Amino acid sequence: MDRALALRRQKILRLASLRYLLQHPWQLALTIIGIALGIAIIVAVDLANESATRAFQVSMENISGRATHQIVGGPSGLDESIYTRLRTELGVRNSAPVLEAYGASGNETLHLIGIDPLADARQGSRFGTTEDGVIQELITTPNTALLAAPTASRMNLTKGDDFEVSLGGRSYRLHIVGLIKPQNQSAAAIEGLLITDISTAQEITNYLGRLSWVDLVLDANADAALVEKIKASLPADAELVPAASRSNAMAQMSKAFRTNLMAMGLMALIVGMFLVYNTMTFMVIQRRHLLGTLRVLGVTRRELFQVILSEALLVGVVATLLGLAIGVLLGQGLVHLVTRTINDLYFVVTVTDLQLSATPMIKAALLGLGGTLIAAFIPTLEAALTSPQAALRRSTLEAHTHVFISRLTVAGLVLFTAGLLLLLIPSTAIFLGFTSLFLLILGMSFMAPLLVMKCVHLCNRWGSTRFDITTRLAIRGISDALSRTGTAIAALMLAVATTIGVSIMIDSFRSSVVDWLETTMRADIYLSAPDLGSGRSYAALDTGLIRNIQSLPGIAGVSEGRQVTIESGALLTEVFALRFSAGIQPGFKLKGGDPPSIWKAYLNGDAVLVSEPLAYHRGLQPGDTIELRTDRGPQAFGIAGVYYDYGSEQGKVLMERDLYNQYFQDRETGGLGLYLKPGVEVDSIIEQVKALAAQAGQNIRLRSNRDIRAYTLQIFDRTFAITHVLRLLAILVAFIGILTALMALQLERAKEIAVLRATGVTPFEVAKIITLQTGVMGLLAGLFAIPTGLVLSQVLIHVINKRSFGWSMESLINVNELFAAIVLAVGAALLAAIYPSWKMTRTAPALALREE
Amino acid sequence: MAQSPATNHSPLLSLRGLTHSYREGERVRQVLDHIDLDIGEGEFIAILGRSGSGKSTLFNLISGIDQPQSGEIQMLETRLSALNEHDRTMYRRRNIGFIYQFFNLLPTLTVRENLLLPLELNKLPPDRADELLAAVELTDRADSFPDCLSGGEQQRIAIARALVHDPGLVLADEPTGNLDMQTGQHILEMLDRLVRQSGKTLVLATHSRAVAEKADRVLALADGKFTTNVEAFAW
Repeated sequence: MDRALALRRQKILRLASLRYLLQHPWQLALTIIGIALGIAIIVAVDLANESATRAFQVSMENISGRATHQIVGGPSGLDESIYTRLRTELGVRNSAPVLEAYGASGNETLHLIGIDPLADARQGSRFGTTEDGVIQELITTPNTALLAAPTASRMNLTKGDDFEVSLGGRSYRLHIVGLIKPQNQSAAAIEGLLITDISTAQEITNYLGRLSWVDLVLDANADAALVEKIKASLPADAELVPAASRSNAMAQMSKAFRTNLMAMGLMALIVGMFLVYNTMTFMVIQRRHLLGTLRVLGVTRRELFQVILSEALLVGVVATLLGLAIGVLLGQGLVHLVTRTINDLYFVVTVTDLQLSATPMIKAALLGLGGTLIAAFIPTLEAALTSPQAALRRSTLEAHTHVFISRLTVAGLVLFTAGLLLLLIPSTAIFLGFTSLFLLILGMSFMAPLLVMKCVHLCNRWGSTRFDITTRLAIRGISDALSRTGTAIAALMLAVATTIGVSIMIDSFRSSVVDWLETTMRADIYLSAPDLGSGRSYAALDTGLIRNIQSLPGIAGVSEGRQVTIESGALLTEVFALRFSAGIQPGFKLKGGDPPSIWKAYLNGDAVLVSEPLAYHRGLQPGDTIELRTDRGPQAFGIAGVYYDYGSEQGKVLMERDLYNQYFQDRETGGLGLYLKPGVEVDSIIEQVKALAAQAGQNIRLRSNRDIRAYTLQIFDRTFAITHVLRLLAILVAFIGILTALMALQLERAKEIAVLRATGVTPFEVAKIITLQTGVMGLLAGLFAIPTGLVLSQVLIHVINKRSFGWSMESLINVNELFAAIVLAVGAALLAAIYPSWKMTRTAPALALREE
Repeated sequence: MAQSPATNHSPLLSLRGLTHSYREGERVRQVLDHIDLDIGEGEFIAILGRSGSGKSTLFNLISGIDQPQSGEIQMLETRLSALNEHDRTMYRRRNIGFIYQFFNLLPTLTVRENLLLPLELNKLPPDRADELLAAVELTDRADSFPDCLSGGEQQRIAIARALVHDPGLVLADEPTGNLDMQTGQHILEMLDRLVRQSGKTLVLATHSRAVAEKADRVLALADGKFTTNVEAFAW
């Protein structure tokens, strides 16, 4: 009976409380949208990241199949005789050769895998299923292929069709003998897959007699002796590695990029949490009369606490569900941006659909619900602890706010100091960097309300004889309703600070890249063979074509480059073998040291140079050595110096071509830098080179110095396109925060506005008061955002970027950018003021005055 | 105590055929039904009526906050129905002083600033604020915020605010309704004294016969019409 009564009491309490929310649907909707957007950003970023990673993993797993180990070669791959010897002499039947490359057909990127269908049949049909009899045709008929069914469908191709595929700048015609369908795997697993017999693959990639690697299925424990036997049998240029370590090494490449994206997402959630806190505070403050009355009627603190918190939970659940739905939609857009960047910078990955997995959804749901409850906890507790008579007095409320703000400021100072101290810890951990960043900006956000109060007091004192009463009323309203305005200002400040910080970081980064391009890119024209993809087989320029280009009359000099990736255990190292053109000064900018002696050591082949990221990630410095697995076995190379390079976040080893030739069998050239004689037209040489390439039957990528700089910057801008989207979303969340604050104030100030109207204040003057008040809120947010943004930018540049990518860059602070941020803050605030202003001027004073 | 709608004073305010109703769901409630009234300059009129009888509605119409559904309101030369929203606001700003039952001081302004508001809106010098503060004996509370004052003090400030810009007409809606008897009496005396001293016209809405007795003329409002039979209201 007692329980039934208690339940009935709870029900009526909830009804009293909930009806208030339902009577203010706009405010409820804004709260829900604000939280939902914060969650949506997290879900979207997480899903996009996971989809790209998953697609990569699936494609790696697909390629590796059940393989436990792989035999990998150097830049020119493996000699196929290794495979023959493995099967015949060592009797390793559970082995399969693979030749991998990437090609293109129309808009589709195709992942070419050359296999031995018979050997693969024994390993299991890892690439999906196809009709019977097709394999026979694949082996016996040259230039035949199997194509993934979803890809074929998009390309309007089917079994029996012929199609063109471009590989390494050359086009080949392939005949489709069958379509691959997923087998116990998602369609994403086989996206873009093009399978040929190994001999067809060797022919069309011009890798005759070579393999990318050999897959092995070994039981490392049972076959320990066999593993040793295989290792011993391998030539110096080959190595036996566990299959998992290779895919891990590849996945690690984009980890820093993905971590940075996640951090941007979290930033939006923090802004969202401010919003939750703000709106929950409003909900409590606005109902202080209702809550006070309930307390007077005998409702206990505990009951009140339960009612409000359960209400917050309800709002949190609805907002979280909405956020998850918006996040999935948003993720569809983001996944393309993420994939594009990963393809531009790291490795080829085909993602056509967002992979909906549970982990990001659960994570976001927990963050959303947890965030809502944490944000609601303080105002709820305050409401429950306030004495009934105090709850009915506004001055008590603001007095509490002022005490709370003092405590908040102290907490802010503590967080800020902790953030600074964390920065002092000598570490390369990105996590520590992000923790410090969040502590710093959270600390500064916590200090914002006190600064607002001080600024408004100062403004009031100064303006008491200078401003008219409506202006004073507008400014005073900010500090008098600090419990509502303070958090909204802090949220907007945080969002604008993020914009400032990220903009400065991107500008500084861009300026460093421009500077680097100008220093490094000295040739007039660059040409290369179109890539074969993931760095396991490399496109090369035709040697005849190179000779013909070198002998063109307008050419003063030619530098020759070859970029390859050396695999060694879990480490992937990019090596750039470069032969400078005679008489041309190397354009690489060195980080410290004595340039003449460093270049002398390099040009003599005594030592190599390493790029700044590689030196940072592996703790290398001039005088150290770096070990690389060469075709003559592992070899330690001396490091002469470190050079600036923004082309690769993993870093590179710059090696003189003759030195490279000493240790690697690869004699191909991937790209050329052409230096023209004075007065020779770039366009005329480009035309001549194109004609020579056409004669040689090779497609080439040809770009003038100006074009390559523009292209590099285009890639750069594309990389940061996603951060623009995320920043805009954070601003949107903050905008909703301001709008919610104003709507709440409108609700609360209806009576005051009515009194003003009764005293003779016109609707235009009411609108002016609200607009002015909001404009000042925006201005304060913009002004406070500047120091916060500057701190954020410096941490991003000197800590996060350094630890993530190893790049150092000069800080470039554009004053216009800071001014633009203030305009953005004021603009967002004024935009948010339009509807509440309109609403307040339309409210009939008679109605508000009647509602005593 | 006079008890007639007629006046010997020259009319400051004339109401003719004033009608107003509210819609409450399906029902239409007639609160004012063809009211005629002349109010002379310097007159103190009390309007007696139960809660919901239409006293506040009448004040909203006289001040131009609301517009009547039919009828005319004329203050001196100004015909309110001919004014648009902006001009009605200007008319109110210059000519009306409001006193409410729940004081309605602006909580974000200090006592003195509450008095400065009508002065600044009318572009009048600020000195009058101090004069009125002295008149309501609250000079020492000039820098306090309203919610630090007692109810009686708040109502004294409200009286000062209603008179500070020298309006022709003061509308007091149940000015003592939220105060104890002794404080209410004190406030009423102060209001009477200040209004009469300045020669203003005061229309006071109340449900208390004791309060109404101070007035020059008492009108009772019931069923949307004025009646002179105040005895019928046995409060």
